[in-house]
Amino acid sequence: MKLIIGHLYPELMNIYGDMGNIIALQKRAEWRGIEVVIKKFSIENKLKQGKVDLFFFGGGQDQAQELVAGDLVASSKGKIIKKEVEKGVPLLAICGGYQLLGEYYQPHNATKLTGIGVFPAYTVAGDNRMIGNIVVQSSWFTVHGQEETSMNNELPAKHTMNYLVGFENHSGKTFLKEGAQPLGQVVKGFGNNGEDQTEGCIYKNAVGSYMHGSLLPKNPGLADWLLTKALELKYGKEIALEPLDNTLENLAHKAAVLKYS
Amino acid sequence: MGYKLLAIILGKVIIYLTKILKIGGGSAAPGYYALKFYPNLVAELTKDIPKTVVITGTNGKTTTSRMLYYFAREQGLKVIRNSTGSNLERGIASTLISNSHMSSGKLKNVDLAIWELDEAAFNQLVPEKIKPDIIIFLNVFRDQLDRYGEIDSILRGWKKTLEKIGKDTTVLINGDDQNLLGLKNSIKCKVETFGIEDYKIKGEGTVKKIGEEKLDLEAKNVNLLGLSGTNFDIQDRHETWSFSIPLPGIYHVYDFLAAYITSQKLGIGRQAVISALDHYSPAFGRAEKLDFGYILLIKNPTGATQVLETLKGELKVGDRLLFALNDNIADGTDVSWIWDSEFEMLSAVSSQLSAICSGTRAEDMALRLKYAGLEPEQIIIQRDLKKALKQAREGLGGRLFILPTYTALLRLQKILAREGTKEHYWKE
Repeated sequence: MKLIIGHLYPELMNIYGDMGNIIALQKRAEWRGIEVVIKKFSIENKLKQGKVDLFFFGGGQDQAQELVAGDLVASSKGKIIKKEVEKGVPLLAICGGYQLLGEYYQPHNATKLTGIGVFPAYTVAGDNRMIGNIVVQSSWFTVHGQEETSMNNELPAKHTMNYLVGFENHSGKTFLKEGAQPLGQVVKGFGNNGEDQTEGCIYKNAVGSYMHGSLLPKNPGLADWLLTKALELKYGKEIALEPLDNTLENLAHKAAVLKYS
Repeated sequence: MGYKLLAIILGKVIIYLTKILKIGGGSAAPGYYALKFYPNLVAELTKDIPKTVVITGTNGKTTTSRMLYYFAREQGLKVIRNSTGSNLERGIASTLISNSHMSSGKLKNVDLAIWELDEAAFNQLVPEKIKPDIIIFLNVFRDQLDRYGEIDSILRGWKKTLEKIGKDTTVLINGDDQNLLGLKNSIKCKVETFGIEDYKIKGEGTVKKIGEEKLDLEAKNVNLLGLSGTNFDIQDRHETWSFSIPLPGIYHVYDFLAAYITSQKLGIGRQAVISALDHYSPAFGRAEKLDFGYILLIKNPTGATQVLETLKGELKVGDRLLFALNDNIADGTDVSWIWDSEFEMLSAVSSQLSAICSGTRAEDMALRLKYAGLEPEQIIIQRDLKKALKQAREGLGGRLFILPTYTALLRLQKILAREGTKEHYWKE
């Protein structure tokens, strides 16, 4: 099997630890004998439909984010990404990438940046930076151990197994619209806006989140879920990923949960 | 007795106490409390210093400051500088206090002050409290974003400060750093650029220079010899000079260039520079040599990648690695940065390696190494640094390379000092 990962604007949107997510996806696929090709899509590149099996979109600085927001519209990459997500192509967007995939971003004293509208959410500039370790309880993923390959909604709600851990650093406040599904509930930290206890957003197989850390290495269940969804869509069948030894992943995850929640 | 004098006496008492009690913190605490007592201390004590050099940037401040200190001392100048990386106002206040007379509250006779200031402290102190004759901008990289913010906002802050700088200051800029060249427009005084022929800083690395970017001073024919050092030439006013610095990697050439140009502006002889380099010993944890190996501080993606690049060519069978990753405030509380450093470089030489991971985020470090290509069996987790160090040295056949973050380095120095391997850092 082969997987094409589309890294969106890697030079402009790579603020902190975003490479860790790409590395985690690549390694966890390769360890299972799945070939991985990473394609970069920057301002000068064209994006065509049906060419990418999994998207990753990292965070950027304000200036870079403006450039990228413009290009998403001008190059129609935004439209294509939206179509692909509607089709079920999985996507992970962190911080700035997450904001740009919402409906809009409203900066302080400047014109609104129109987003792509993948996530039913919008972001407004805040006055304080929300910085620190974050622990989120997600009803969507098993994070630890044996059931890593699939989503599991049956886990008990307060079980640390479905905690996600990371680090957030943002001043933008994201609000989910009516009916939008958050990635999880904040146990420790700020999350989307520091007000309503939600963190991130899930729409179809697209995940948006404020969690750096990097997110995927310490939350391998989420990485495997994205890989599974990508392969299932591509090969049109149910996929059960070969289990991996997650001892170190689980240790790092557990250490973060114990220390910060 | 004035409040200023009381503040100095208070600071001196704290210096004395931290020394006899061996509690460390000797570089920040005296200044911290003295400033609470007398906030204008730095401005008043620095105003009579004949020459002042300020160094800022993400990486290389301590090494640049130390080299310039060596050059100036060789020339016979009396120099004060904030050492041990205490590059906030309190660190400077501590240095000033320990160099002041207890009786008069006046600064002892000095010729030159060298202040390394972190990215934010620079704006807080210059030019109101510290009036520099020379300002050095080394580079600007992604650092601990939880402390300093993004590169764009650092540059915005520097521009604002530079607009307030008078005409008699000289600004030295690393011209291979595109981000820094943008500062030139905000500067009304004299600006000079330095750099390395054929190199340009891009993102976290260096790339080949393309096109014409004429800099005022360039190093040429750079020959990187790993931990043994670096050789290169400098053409200065139609004469070519060869230099050899006992530091690894291309980035230390920039540190040297900054220190070198500054020394020339201060009238320090080239011969003093050359003989100072002969007995130069690296700063505190910056490729610092021990009996059983080396300590190489890692604190952000660029710095760590640079260290790994050096190690790649050095690691031999039997060598071991000890990583100490802390997430205290001085380290940056976000450990995401380890994923932006190219630990993959170790995989080429990893088959015989064993790596011990320590520090408050030891598990994160271990995970990074696994994804960089080390086998989990090669990775040992031992959070406690003292135990980790002991374990790393037991049965060590080759050398031990210790890569600590900042607060782990401080702890390491204490451990080594207690066992007598190393002088305590306040004696440096």
